[in-house]
Amino acid sequence: MTTAVVVALLVATGTWLVLRRGLLRVVVGFVLLGHGVNLLVLTAGGTDRRGFALPGQQGEGPVADPLPQAFVLTAVVIAFAVTVHLLGLLRQGQVLDEDDDAEGPA
Amino acid sequence: MVAALLLLAALAASAPMLARRLGRSTGYVLSAGFLVAAGLLVSLAPQVLRGGRPGAQAAVEASAPWLPSLGVEAALRLDGLSLVFALVALVVGALVMAYCARYLSDASARGPVLPLLTVFAAAMVGLVLADDLVLLYLFWELTTLCSFALLSTAGARAEAPARRALVITIAGGLALLVAVVLLALAGGTTRISVLLAEPDVVLSSPLAWPVAACVLLAAMSKSAQLPLQFWLPGAMVAMTPVSAYLHAATMVKAGIYLLVRISALFAEQTPWQVALVAVGMATALVGAVMALREHDLKGILAHSTVSQLGLLVAAIGVGTPTALGAALLHTMAHALFKATLFMLVGIIDTETGSRDIRDLSGLRRAMPWTAAATALAALSMAGVPPALGFVSKEYLYQGFVSAPGPAWVAPAAAACAVTASALTFAYSMRIVWGAFGGPDHPELYEPAKSFLAPAAVAAAAGLLLGPAVSLFDPLVDAATSAALPGSVPPRIYFWHGLSTEVVLSGVTVALGSLLFWQRDRVDGVLVRLRLPDAGGAFDVGHRGLLALGGRVGADTRARPLATHLARPLAVVAVLGVVGAVVLGGALPERTATAVPGEPVLLVVLAVTLVCAAVTSSALVLVALVGLVGLVVAVRMVLVGAADVALTLLLVEVLTAVVLVLVLRGGRLRLPAVVGPTGRGAVPAALLAAGAGTAAGLGTWALTGRRELSPTGAYLLDNAEELTGGTNVVNTVLVDFRGVDTLLESVLVGVVALGLGVLTRGSTTPGHEARERPDVVLQVASRVLAPLAVLASAVLLWRGHDQPGGGFIGALVAGAGVVLVHLAGTGGSGRLERLTDPVLLAGSGALVAVGTGLLPLVWGGALMEPFAVPGLYALGVSSALLFDLGVYALVVSLVAACVRGFGRVSAADPSGDPGPGRAEVSA
Repeated sequence: MTTAVVVALLVATGTWLVLRRGLLRVVVGFVLLGHGVNLLVLTAGGTDRRGFALPGQQGEGPVADPLPQAFVLTAVVIAFAVTVHLLGLLRQGQVLDEDDDAEGPA
Repeated sequence: MVAALLLLAALAASAPMLARRLGRSTGYVLSAGFLVAAGLLVSLAPQVLRGGRPGAQAAVEASAPWLPSLGVEAALRLDGLSLVFALVALVVGALVMAYCARYLSDASARGPVLPLLTVFAAAMVGLVLADDLVLLYLFWELTTLCSFALLSTAGARAEAPARRALVITIAGGLALLVAVVLLALAGGTTRISVLLAEPDVVLSSPLAWPVAACVLLAAMSKSAQLPLQFWLPGAMVAMTPVSAYLHAATMVKAGIYLLVRISALFAEQTPWQVALVAVGMATALVGAVMALREHDLKGILAHSTVSQLGLLVAAIGVGTPTALGAALLHTMAHALFKATLFMLVGIIDTETGSRDIRDLSGLRRAMPWTAAATALAALSMAGVPPALGFVSKEYLYQGFVSAPGPAWVAPAAAACAVTASALTFAYSMRIVWGAFGGPDHPELYEPAKSFLAPAAVAAAAGLLLGPAVSLFDPLVDAATSAALPGSVPPRIYFWHGLSTEVVLSGVTVALGSLLFWQRDRVDGVLVRLRLPDAGGAFDVGHRGLLALGGRVGADTRARPLATHLARPLAVVAVLGVVGAVVLGGALPERTATAVPGEPVLLVVLAVTLVCAAVTSSALVLVALVGLVGLVVAVRMVLVGAADVALTLLLVEVLTAVVLVLVLRGGRLRLPAVVGPTGRGAVPAALLAAGAGTAAGLGTWALTGRRELSPTGAYLLDNAEELTGGTNVVNTVLVDFRGVDTLLESVLVGVVALGLGVLTRGSTTPGHEARERPDVVLQVASRVLAPLAVLASAVLLWRGHDQPGGGFIGALVAGAGVVLVHLAGTGGSGRLERLTDPVLLAGSGALVAVGTGLLPLVWGGALMEPFAVPGLYALGVSSALLFDLGVYALVVSLVAACVRGFGRVSAADPSGDPGPGRAEVSA
């Protein structure tokens, strides 16, 4: 239940920031959207099994589904790559016109 | 047959080489090559022409497997019809190539014109030989592309006409593609000869009429029929050999070929006949009137081609063996006299510098041979006996006079044909008069004999072949029976008594002479004539379409990013609503469990997010987003995802560092969250609330309601046994879904390289930190950086069994790299070289891809695990090697960040790292 609320908060804040002025907000917004979706995918494995899929951990209740974890692990790294790329674009914009404000006059 | 095509392809390939050696004389070599190819086809003629076996279907076939899964073969078939069109393409091609040898300069002969013309010839011959619809379509498009490429050699002024020609003919090509698909569906095969042998199979299908419409459209675009005819006069910007070959003699006949070929299916269908005759006659009349209006010689000839093609289409529409035979004969006659006239116009243009028919006066004394050849070809076009054009026109009349259908059809068709021909006679006479009448131009000289020879030979042939027209009889006979199986083709001979046709020819000459005699008055009428401008309409439509595309795409270029970013986010909200409606209330029981700490985390997260949403300070935003990352990582631990949480933590650390590096020297104050006017804040808030609600409801409704997935259970049960690894998540990454991971790591490497390009505008590495070294940081980096590298090696090594692996190890190593950079303790050279992003990304990709591909060498599967020879005892598995590649790729990204963002931006050479540049944005 709390996961649903967490995802909702992350997506809502991410959306809000993406739609606001300032390229940095857009980048941060994308990071938050990424967190939200990653949590959603992880939760799809089921939140009633929370044991680590590692040797020696099986004693702590049922083991979590490893498949979504693998998806999310690469997704986290890719999200990092995307963030860095966006920051590269942001930096390029600063170099070009010393203006990281993505908008015209409000 | 195959040899002829291969010869043409070889000629096309060797043309540039020959041109370097021989200059423009390459044209002669190509001309000879074309004649050899024609000879190869003629050598098959005894098998193709019926040779006194009436009714027998004779053809030479060859085929090779091509797309077996679609039942498509590269099938060629030479029958009488193919032979007619192939010979036209090759013989006229030989003449034009010989003409090119003197028309072109040595420099332009080394350009793309000669190879393109040869490729075109090969495509044209392939088009008429193809016995498979797919192959036919391929060659059809190839001729279109050759035409476009040849048009564009004329430079900037050809841009608009070339585009028109391309768009129209490509659109026709698409229609042909549709027809090909429909025909294959209706007939069950793409083999043309099989489809045509059983017309009832296609005709009984509901797809028959769509096929007919698409074929007609394709032919109308290619053969410049009303209302698509305007591209052809525009195409006259091309150099004269191109106009002579493609846009008079051959390419525009591709549509004629298609219509004749498909006649076996539709020739006796009334709608088909009506459509073809109507379109053809309208085109013939309009084209002839337009030609009479022109003063530019190439313009006259272009409109004349449109008009003559119209007559051919109308004759094909009549569909009787006589009419089809006449159309085929006239195709040959027209190719001959029109190509001749174009070549002569090219000569006149070169010698006199003018193509205006009113400037031609006196040509007969200055250039008697040119004038004579021009007059001969024009007389053939006018249909004056005894030229070949006269005989073919007689047969066309015969076809129209004997047209089937209601009683009024034949006279009406004949009247239209006579009118068009009378107009043709009139403009032909203008050319003859231009060549022979008027005052002298003493300063002009006859061109070199070699320049004139191809045109003169063709003009003489046009005259001599008239009386000797019965030579064509076996060819037309075979072609007509190939087009209409079982028909009785007309006998072709020069003179057949005082028949209706002869009378009609007389009327034509009389009317034409009248039009010519009263030419001043005719001009007066024609100048006032307003014809609808299809070309203009096309341009308006074309511009409109481009503008529409511009408007659709405009938002993606808009400065307020929100306008287009909002759309995909709005889709999330809409999907949530749709999902709620579709799912209704029928959800399985939730099985999710809760853990004590979760509500606390939730509160922390909520507060952090609210602060992030409203802050205007870049540094605060960066700090808050780091905090959010930590909370999310803890949540991941709570749901049992140790490796993911570890990865996320490391990513958050690196993200924070990169963000700070980027912000350095930029503005630290963001524009206010809600601008002074507040515009857009409410919709954004609503959209955020909607998207959040949708995502939250989706999470609630769709997760935590089922057992462990079968895949997950399989992985948990079998991972260790199958891969030898006990960290199941890592085995999924490097073993079960290795290809996926491989591509994702390569993507990371690509971003690393892209970052290098993006930040190239920055100055050389600044290492400002080195100038103001922080002692604590320096000491720490000397201790911690080697530790980080060591730890990363351990994590990489044990990743298959314990938390760790390539991704996590690389991020730890990346932290070390970052630390060294910040402390400025890297030294100048060695570490710099070692962490070169290009080197890392390249070697990483090489190792990862190589490990994946290696099993293929001994016949294994892609990414199959294998024992590394010699090192297996040490615990080095192929999975570890693969992970090493991933490791290098991810480190390359971190290194690229440090390199790219660690520099001072070019616009800010002072490199002031302090917060002093914080400014209040307007």
